[in-house]
Amino acid sequence: MRYTLKVRWMETITHDIIIVGAGIAGLRAAIAAAEISNKIDVSILSKVHPIRSHSVCAQGGTAATLREGDSYNLHAWDTVKGSDFLADQNVAEFFVKQAPKEVITLEHWGCPWSRTPDGKINQRPFGGHSFPRACFAADMTGLHEMHTLYGRAVMQENITFYNEWFATSIIIQNNISKGLTAIELKTGEMHALRAKAIIMATGGCERIYAFTTFSHTATGDGMTIAYRAGVPLKDMEFIQFHPTGLVPSGVLITEGARGEGGYLINADGERFMKRYAPEKMELAPRDIIARAETTEIQEGRGLDGPYGPYIALDLRHLGEEKIKERLPLIHDVAIKLGGVNPVEEPIPIKPAAHYSMGGIHANIRTETPASGLYAAGEGACLSIHGANRLGTNSTSDCLVFGFVAGEEAAKYALSKDSRELPQDKILAEERRVFDQVLGSEGDERVSVLRDEMRRIMNDKVWIFRREDELQSALKEIRQLKKRFKSVKIEDEGRSFNTGLVAALQLDFTLDLAEVTIISALARTESRGAHSRLDYPKRDDENWLKHTLAYHTKEGPRLEYIPVTITKWPPSARAY
Amino acid sequence: MVSKKEKVVEFKIRRFDPERNERYLSTYKVPTLMGMTILDALLYIKDNLDGTLTFRHSCRMGQCGSCGILVNGKPILACYTQVLQLGVGVLEIEPLPNLPVIKDLVVDFNSFFEKFVKIKPILIRAEEELRKPTEFVQTPNDLKKYWDESICVKCSLCYGSCPAAIDMEFLGPSSLTTNYRFIVDTRDDGLSERLKTASETIWLCTSCSSCTLSCPKEIDCATVLDNERGLIVEEGILVPRTAKDVLTSALKHHNPVRMSPAKRTEWSSGLEIKELPTTGKTDVLYFVGCLPSYDARNQEIAKSIAQIFRKIDVDFATLGNEEWCCGDHILRLGEKGLFEMLAEHNASLFKKYGFNRIVTISPHCYHTFKNDKPYTDIRLNVQHYTQFISEAFKNGRLRPVKAIKKKVTYHDPCFLGKRSGIYDEPREILKAIPGLELVEMGRSRENSFCCGGGAGRIWTEEATPENRPCVNRAKEALELGVEVIATACPFCVSTLEDAVKVLDAEDKIVVKDISELVKEAL
Repeated sequence: MRYTLKVRWMETITHDIIIVGAGIAGLRAAIAAAEISNKIDVSILSKVHPIRSHSVCAQGGTAATLREGDSYNLHAWDTVKGSDFLADQNVAEFFVKQAPKEVITLEHWGCPWSRTPDGKINQRPFGGHSFPRACFAADMTGLHEMHTLYGRAVMQENITFYNEWFATSIIIQNNISKGLTAIELKTGEMHALRAKAIIMATGGCERIYAFTTFSHTATGDGMTIAYRAGVPLKDMEFIQFHPTGLVPSGVLITEGARGEGGYLINADGERFMKRYAPEKMELAPRDIIARAETTEIQEGRGLDGPYGPYIALDLRHLGEEKIKERLPLIHDVAIKLGGVNPVEEPIPIKPAAHYSMGGIHANIRTETPASGLYAAGEGACLSIHGANRLGTNSTSDCLVFGFVAGEEAAKYALSKDSRELPQDKILAEERRVFDQVLGSEGDERVSVLRDEMRRIMNDKVWIFRREDELQSALKEIRQLKKRFKSVKIEDEGRSFNTGLVAALQLDFTLDLAEVTIISALARTESRGAHSRLDYPKRDDENWLKHTLAYHTKEGPRLEYIPVTITKWPPSARAY
Repeated sequence: MVSKKEKVVEFKIRRFDPERNERYLSTYKVPTLMGMTILDALLYIKDNLDGTLTFRHSCRMGQCGSCGILVNGKPILACYTQVLQLGVGVLEIEPLPNLPVIKDLVVDFNSFFEKFVKIKPILIRAEEELRKPTEFVQTPNDLKKYWDESICVKCSLCYGSCPAAIDMEFLGPSSLTTNYRFIVDTRDDGLSERLKTASETIWLCTSCSSCTLSCPKEIDCATVLDNERGLIVEEGILVPRTAKDVLTSALKHHNPVRMSPAKRTEWSSGLEIKELPTTGKTDVLYFVGCLPSYDARNQEIAKSIAQIFRKIDVDFATLGNEEWCCGDHILRLGEKGLFEMLAEHNASLFKKYGFNRIVTISPHCYHTFKNDKPYTDIRLNVQHYTQFISEAFKNGRLRPVKAIKKKVTYHDPCFLGKRSGIYDEPREILKAIPGLELVEMGRSRENSFCCGGGAGRIWTEEATPENRPCVNRAKEALELGVEVIATACPFCVSTLEDAVKVLDAEDKIVVKDISELVKEAL
């Protein structure tokens, strides 16, 4: 079935700024841009309603230096050490100085931060932070930040929302970003939108894995959209595995559970972290704990369950009152989805894909190499988190650089004239979406290819990696990319075609899986979350550099750029 | 921990194809494991059985609010409900009500979210204070006052189950709860503005408690709205005239219907019913309530129950003209002080006279005696009359012998069902009547649809017919093809009878109180 062309490029939608993605970074950017001037016409486009975004799943907290005893220097150092020295230190230093302001701003807008007895914002310890600097709203930090930002954004008259619009491409010509194409899900129509500035705030891509803490919708679309438009993806080999994904679903059990004093226990009843990080124990950085758990399981010390071996997260000694006050969501989720009451039993967990340290290459001002295109949040790589992100630095990152992106894009937009969209690019995109994907007459099922990709990534591009497995994974992913060309979408309707959305997302994620593998293959060292069994040591001499992956017809082409070091030369990383 | 034992569950899904403008039903069989959620099952169907099935989903941990649907009439989050825990082999799945359907289980949330903009979902504070570089102080105790209300994920389950939300003007339980969350927030300075916004439509809420029962985050929206009305009543000027009349009457006449207190016992003239002020003690204190005392239609119910008592020689007595309004509607309307005055009076009589138990006609009297201070300070043995009759049927003291050969449906009064958990006794009574065929409406028991009379709305009603819950409900009964709507609440009788008149269906269907049917059958 072929579709007649439906693009409405004759009546292009125009805004000064279009933000793609309405999670914490996107909403923060929209508000920041709109506040610069009420003359700025801001729009925010998201494939889900803003408060359905994955940011609502953030639980444990938001890192910010607020109190005596802590310092910007200490927060920056923790971040850099946590990153295994791959963070750009100038960015980390800027980041920690901006974080407190964002926490206070949210507070002023109504965020119900948990409080100290004297009424100040409370903070809890978190892995790899040497001061309790995680501001939290019980264990629903992301939910509250999102609802606060959403509440603020809807009150701003110069922000237009395009809810449930699925972006399919951005248009860059002569290295200048001009606009984008998107499908309005309700009608199924494709629209062309032009803007002086575009901010990509589309989040991470951990749905390339089978076992993940991620929302079903978190497929990293924006990364591929930028990549295909010629913008490089940076450090994509660095995927964070969270130590406590609930078995069997992978739903996140916050690190805050350990921040509040929870234990990780193996089948022998042992707090095994004493053998891996004797000082920090359960509050070592995530890469170290995820590896420790995997080693415990591989060496036969996992507990037995119907879904395979697992590790126990024991909160019982915290007592019912503390669990219900500090970790109410975890309490509820463990009962409803894990079938265990954490007051009475340990929670079954194992490592789950959780965060993309990599993303769209952007600098300290969130500028990408394309003029007028900005990136913020998990989908961007600035790079603060380097090879391993510390818990609670991600929501801070989204707030700080969402704000920066909004301001930078607004200043840029105010100084530029409006742009014309090249119609050939819009027509080409329409043909891709409606003829090649929706109109495809093959017999491959999206769900089969998707599950296959996730299995490959889980089996061969997981916590411990080695060349032969990565090569084999690359081969298989490339086969899937070929098979995708013969995909068949059962749903032939236009309105709310979730089959089409799933196919487009799969297409995007296959590119990201490929970039992840290629980047991981090339990096012949172990650093942070990237652990090569065949190259077990960090190699600063050859690999103290960022990977940039450029899209070519033949697949990703890699380049490297240096890491910015300001104060802290790389040193041994022990906890 | 989850197990791997498998069971096949049938999913019957009500669907809508927007291109063909066609509603239809699809049925799927899903092999289900312990631990599998409804969302997992829907995804299984989409991946393996039918790629065209359309629904929303995202976080799969109850935080994003995307996947609200109706399962066997109950609004739930698909991701937060395990299939096997429902304990049934067939699941009927529908999109959430009160919102237009886009496709299959996907509804259009626009009108729902527009309501959040109206209540200003952000702190209201002076600009210069918002520029301060340090946080506003708020103690953990102050935070606790609104925390429970702050965790709303805006999934719209409450809105979908709300009888008042059939009126598009109504802001709905979650928006009004969010409004209240800011009112209670010590950092917010928008009290008068927020009360004004709420006061425009909050009177449409009937306190039926559907919102509270459906909330996946266990927020007690129904009580929140009672409290919010309480604040509006304190402000005074924002209370609409109709509600003011009810409150004034309750203050002056001790009943909400502007009748003379001296006429409270007129319904029983000639019946020689004992009154406690004269006798001092009795076995059963028959608490008649305001509508059965004063309203001609409902007086029939008061008489029926008295006759049933007589039939089995119950030693019963009323409070005579000393009975005052129980205060339930007054409390729900937000006038706590007036409620306390009425309740203190009744409570003092309960202490003064000797009796073994109270039997009420109205579920509202029953509910407030059981749940609200100061009534709960006295140890009262309270029964709704359906409990009393059901008991008498069971122990053989009372036996329905005359056949009533009619198709009857039962409408659950909210304060009897949803709020008090009494679902079975009324049905047992109806089933015991010879010849009577009991047919259930689609929305029944916990998922019953309110008549629209609670929280004083019976007296403040100004909505157009299509926006009145009673009309909506009577239509449902009519479509079922029954001859009688049986219920067990004076307010339900009044609203539903009015609805039957509005629908011009008096020749097709009648509204009866269960006590009237029992009396007929004796």
